[in-house]
Formats: sequence, C-alpha cells, structure tokens
Amino acid sequence: MTSAFPFPFSLPRIGVIAALVRRDYMVQRSYRLVFVLDVFYGIVNLLVFYFISQTFSDASTADLSGAPTYFAFASIGIAITIVLQAASGGLAHRIREEQLTGTLEALTTQPITVPELSFGLAAFQFGFGMIRAAFYLLLSGVFFGVSFSQTDWVGFVTVLIASGAALASIGVMLGALVLVMKRGEVLTGAITFAMGLVSGAFFPIDVLPGWLQAIGSIVPTRFAYDGLRSAIFEGGGWGGDAVALIVFAIIGLPIGVWLFGRGLLHSRRAGTISQY
Amino acid sequence: MESNGAVLSIESLNRRFGRQEVVRSLDLAVEPGQRVALWGPNGSGKSTVLRCVAGTLIPTAGSVQIAGYRAGDLPARRLVGASLSQERSFYLRLNGRTNLLFFARIRYDNQREGARAVDALIEELEIADIAAQRVDRCSTGMVQQLALARALLGDPVVLLLDEPTRSLDADARGRLWGALQRRPKAAALIATHLDEDVKLCDERVSFPV
Repeated sequence: MTSAFPFPFSLPRIGVIAALVRRDYMVQRSYRLVFVLDVFYGIVNLLVFYFISQTFSDASTADLSGAPTYFAFASIGIAITIVLQAASGGLAHRIREEQLTGTLEALTTQPITVPELSFGLAAFQFGFGMIRAAFYLLLSGVFFGVSFSQTDWVGFVTVLIASGAALASIGVMLGALVLVMKRGEVLTGAITFAMGLVSGAFFPIDVLPGWLQAIGSIVPTRFAYDGLRSAIFEGGGWGGDAVALIVFAIIGLPIGVWLFGRGLLHSRRAGTISQY
Repeated sequence: MESNGAVLSIESLNRRFGRQEVVRSLDLAVEPGQRVALWGPNGSGKSTVLRCVAGTLIPTAGSVQIAGYRAGDLPARRLVGASLSQERSFYLRLNGRTNLLFFARIRYDNQREGARAVDALIEELEIADIAAQRVDRCSTGMVQQLALARALLGDPVVLLLDEPTRSLDADARGRLWGALQRRPKAAALIATHLDEDVKLCDERVSFPV
C-alpha cells in the first residue's frame, strides 16, 4: 500500500499555511504573559554573555570571525540559536501539542497535504523566531554597544533567510521523529544544542578537538553563524556561506517533507495518530 | 462514483492492533443518502472502522474506497466529513467560530466562501452561543455540536459520526437528525450503542463483526 500523502507533492496552498500561522498566533496571543517573559528571557540571556565578555575583556579577539568583542561574537550566536531552536524545534513542539490536545487526528482527516501540514505547523514558530532574533540583535546594538556600522544589510537578510530555510529542513525531519517517537522533543532539544556546540555559537570552533571541528564544518548552523558574522562585522564575505545554506535547504526540504510523510504513514499504520 | 452506486465501499476490512483483531472481514456498501448504524458495545471496533474510512488508520487487510478513491487519499478526504473523538479535537483556547473558520480554510479554497459556510452552519444548527465561546469553556455536548458543524463543512458525500448523540440534549439531537435529513444525498456511517439512534438509520451493522 502506498502513502495516502503522495510524494512528489503539489505546491502547498498559501491560504492553508496562512490559516495555520494565524491559528498559532491566536493561540500564542491567548497566553499574553509569554511574550513578556520571552523578551525578559532574551534580555537576561544577553546580560549573561555581556558580563562574561566584560570579565574577559582583555582576551584577544583575533579569532572571533571579525567580531570586535566577545559579546558581539556571542550575540550573533544567541540570535542564530533562537532561529535554530524555532526552526528545528518549532515543528516538533507543534506536533507534540497537537498530539497532546488531540487535534492532530482532526487535522489529518482534512484535505491537507504533507507540505501544507509540515510547513504550516512550523511557520509561526519559525517567523516568530526570526523576529525575536532580529529584536535581540537590535537590543545588542542599542543597549550593549554592538556596532552595525560595517554591516552589509543585503548579506544580513540573505544569510538570515537562507539560514531559516536550511534549518527548517532539519525542523521538518525532527517533526517526523516526534510523529513516530511521541516524546521526541527531548531528542530534538539535544540535537539543537549539539549543533550549536560544534558550529561555533558561543566560542570559535578552533578550540574544539579536531574530530568535532570536522563535524562542525558540515552542519548548516556553522555557515549560518559564519555568514551572519561576516555580513555584520566585516561587511562582506558571506556569499559562500549563503550558497552553502541555500544548497542545504534545496536538498534538505524535500527530504524533510518526505520523511514527515513517512512519519504520518507510520502513525496511520500503527494507529497512533490519536495517541500521545 | 462506483458502478454499483455505492459511495462508500468496504471490502474484507480487517484491522489488528498487535495480536488483537478488532475488525474482521467487514464488507459494507453504502449508497448516497443511506444512514448506516454501526451498533455495538464500547470497544467492539466501531470507531476503528470510522477511522479506517477517515484515513487516519490504515487497514491491516482489505480495502476502503470513497467514490472510487482509496480512503485517506487527498480526494477521498475532500469527500469525507468526520466527527471522531469530539472532546479532544479543537483548539481549546480559541472560540468555536474561530475553530470552524480554521477548518473551513482548509476545506474551501476561497476564504469568504468558507466563512459563509461556517456562518450558515452556525445558523442552521442554532449554535451561535456555543460558537462565540472559547472551547475550553464548553461542555461535552456543546463541543459535540461544534464537531458536527465541522463535519458538515464542505458538503461531504460521506459523514462519519462517532456516537454523535451521546452527550446531546433532546433539542440538540433533533437538530442533528434534522441536519442529516436536509442532506438527502450524504451517506452517513454512525457509530452508536443507543437504540434510538439505530431506529433513525436505514441499516444496522452489529459489532463485533
């Protein structure tokens, strides 16, 4: 028996994705304090790295990808990690919520395709993550002295969008994992954290052992961190990173959607769509 | 549509969960407008059959076809309106109308058409008060009425209703059967253990099979 969610697939309907985004926004908005707490969390996060930077203010900044201070270096790490968490963990989180509230079965009885379901469930978290990342970078500039005078804004936007697309493909794959494993969000958290570790979120990867550096050199987050730092602090040199991210997205998104479809098929075979 | 006139065709349906055989060799053909009661005690496999038709469950053996399309395939899902586990199938922090509008947006390519359909159903089923409330403030019976409205979105040719009258008062039950009577071409598969539901159907299939 073949999949009832066929692959190759047709283009997703924008209206359906917009409906899923709007629904997630309205649910999120119903927890008003979450927005405030999220901003508070971001500021505390920035403060931690700011004071770490102050503690080691005499340390050499020669290996910080052009960043003038450790804080400037880490603020990019924080911003991209937020996008990474939103893009990679967002769909997994939504799937888990749909399982827990029982709405996943109601959704899958509707005429909705796999790309619509996977992109639609991930889109709000992803978009929200991008806005948060930009907001925290703004805070870094306004309150913590990170300079954007050298920034190539075209490069900044290009790398940020390419990063989001590349990382979203990982998110869709992890969403498939949650469909099958149910409590897979623990694993998705671990994978996200590990990717940050090996790709230079908060320290240059030169300090890692060689074998970890080798892993770090092929994960997409590495290109996201490097590309964004180059665009912001060096005003150029982001092209190669952007191309790598776009190639990763072009290959990764169809694979992610296919895996998500297989995850749904597995759930329908096992009879676990309505389970949590 | 199948050549024999059946809009829903189930052949040798078998579904196991591990070693437990929940449905065994079920054959059923349902014509447009026909109401078929799946009648039997709790746990006898009625809901499993509905899920196989809705496509959220794949049969272990046998086939389920809706107007010639395999159950679960996209064209089949367009033709089916399902009210399965009603209590756990809505976004609790949104009100009833917002929930219905969301599902309508998936069913209808045109947003305004979907909104019109939602408002028409709210009026037809007399659930304006329910639709205005957040779902987590609704009783089980109120949520069941919302679930019926959702199942009717998109004018489905096959309706799947899992114990649709269980928590309804007499008026709401009347509105449910009235809504079915106003859709004489829609086939309905109704899982129930209530005799009064069975009496209003054209055929009864006793479970376990």
